[in-house]
Amino acid sequence: MNIDINLILPEIFLSLSIMTLLMIGVFKKNSTSLIFNLSVLTLLILSALILNLSNIGETFIFNQSYVIDDFSNFMKILTAISTIFVMSVSADFLKSLNIYKIEYPILILCSLLGMMVMISSNDLIVFYLGLELQSLALYVLAAFNRDNILSTESGLKYFVLSALSSGLLLYGCSLIYGFTGSTNFIDISSNTYEVPYALTFGIVFILVGLAFKISAVPFHMWAPDVYQGSPTSVTMFFALIPKIAATCVFIRFLYVPFINMIDQWQMIIIFISIASMIFGAVAAIGQKNLKRLIAYSSIGHMGYSLAGIATGSIGGIQSSITYITIYVIMNLALFCCLFMLRRNNNYFENIDDLSGLSKNHPILSLSLLIILFSLAGIPPMAGFFAKFYVFMAVIEQSMYFLAIVGLLSTVIAAFYYLRIIKIIYFDPSKDKYDTNHSFGLKISLLVSTVFILFYFIYPNSLINIISKINII
Amino acid sequence: MIAHAIFFYIFSFIAIVSAIMVTVSKNTVHSVFFLILDFISISCLFIMIGAEFLGMIMLIVYVGAVAVLFLFVVMMLNVAHQKNIFFKSNQGSKHIPIGLFVSLIIFFELIIVVGGWKYKPELNNISSLETTSISNTHSIGYVLYTDYIHLFQLSGMILLVAMIGAIILTYRKREGLKRQSYFSQISREKIDGVDLVDVEKNKGIKIDV
Repeated sequence: MNIDINLILPEIFLSLSIMTLLMIGVFKKNSTSLIFNLSVLTLLILSALILNLSNIGETFIFNQSYVIDDFSNFMKILTAISTIFVMSVSADFLKSLNIYKIEYPILILCSLLGMMVMISSNDLIVFYLGLELQSLALYVLAAFNRDNILSTESGLKYFVLSALSSGLLLYGCSLIYGFTGSTNFIDISSNTYEVPYALTFGIVFILVGLAFKISAVPFHMWAPDVYQGSPTSVTMFFALIPKIAATCVFIRFLYVPFINMIDQWQMIIIFISIASMIFGAVAAIGQKNLKRLIAYSSIGHMGYSLAGIATGSIGGIQSSITYITIYVIMNLALFCCLFMLRRNNNYFENIDDLSGLSKNHPILSLSLLIILFSLAGIPPMAGFFAKFYVFMAVIEQSMYFLAIVGLLSTVIAAFYYLRIIKIIYFDPSKDKYDTNHSFGLKISLLVSTVFILFYFIYPNSLINIISKINII
Repeated sequence: MIAHAIFFYIFSFIAIVSAIMVTVSKNTVHSVFFLILDFISISCLFIMIGAEFLGMIMLIVYVGAVAVLFLFVVMMLNVAHQKNIFFKSNQGSKHIPIGLFVSLIIFFELIIVVGGWKYKPELNNISSLETTSISNTHSIGYVLYTDYIHLFQLSGMILLVAMIGAIILTYRKREGLKRQSYFSQISREKIDGVDLVDVEKNKGIKIDV
């Protein structure tokens, strides 16, 4: 077996950097800032290495258990770049909680490694190992602020529920292995001409596990508590990056081995999608905590991205990928605003704390306005286009019911986004917040807000890249 | 061949006796030691039938990790001297009949499993399975380090994350702890510790510490 080492150079580079950073952190005293900077540098080099692979086309390595194609490269770059933003905004916040430690960037890098393996996996075992690597790092990150009772609770809750869903997922894997004789996606797809019931059970179990990871209804119970309890920078990581990887696995798992069985899984995905959209829209209305609100809003957004997957067409997948990309950018911007609500080293996270923000902080309020309009899907922000592509793909497949439910829940969801805008602009103002934010935070907010605002001028920039992705 | 048989009976005898001793010894620490002895003799049996990889894994995982963990737990919970009421109570325990019943069921299940396997018509002869002359460890190594190298390395990363996580969540730097510092002990000179004072008669001396 001859492997071109260049194909997995990003993964090898990332694992070696994790070990090097760990050694530097252990043996050099007070090296936390150094480790943070070095890990951002690592991520930059990583993105360059992945970009370097972009013209290779579809290539399989390790006995076809690992795949490198346009899809995996795009998703990997998206995860790497959003991790850079997460790292660069979280340093100040961690310092204020006294959890500014070297393990934080190292665990995030480990989790990123797991997600890269998940994204590239073409085999059930590879996929499972990647999933475990990323979740194990996430359990620890959720409980990272270990002296805070909410944080430990969220870590424990996430650990127990996630272990349960991993168990279901493994049971599904074993059923699929038993009835197709292989763990490899390509071999499975060539063995699915006659469909035994047990294979459908296997798919259902794996979908349960995956739906848990992206917190889609009815497997969303953990999300609000974990989002609220974890340190905000970890919540940001939770809300953005594991969703990219899990969506990617969703697409690859349904479309490579089981595209012949679309009759069996399509109804399940449609149900999960509709339930998530409605629940995300309705349950967020009564929330008082911004982090809980983001949790419910992300449940709703996952519903829209699943609606694209449910179509079973290449346009649907592409709309789904576009949706998740724009979702990541919008939530990145929203969390940047959350980090700016700081007064004397205390961070505020309730909706009441936003009251009358526009009087003292006009620029921050304006960017929040743009971001919330975009999340609600109001033109001409980027969020509108994301929803537009998904609904186009859904209507093309004449799945009108899904499209109508999606549109209705968009209208419901717009209520709680607009309510926040009303609180910001029309409620009595409170004390001023600090304005001396770090450079990384300011630049992250600027970049993401500008992207959201001016996406409509040249929407083809993203579409051209994504339209190359074709995995069927 | 006769030596092989003798060794087999020695190891089996030790295994069975120590397995019984695990359950009947009243001191919990002794039980754990007998458990370790049991694991070791079973791994010897594995090695004798040519499953040397399984035998070594048994030694490393069960004796090296699991049994030592048991020993730690037993010693930390201090249950070693807890007298076992189970055997001593006067009015006779009610657990023994149920225990005997369950073990009888397990015994018959084992007989059915072994019997069904032995008299299966399409049973393969074991000797026909040995097609290659290389050992188990070699053949596992051949695929583990070539076809599945990425999975092997990934498992290593998972263990690394588990280790980092366990340390970050439990390690606390204690304040006011006196630690031994070899360097400062060795580099201590006479002048740091000893003070020569002339003591005047009938006056004594006041020492500041």
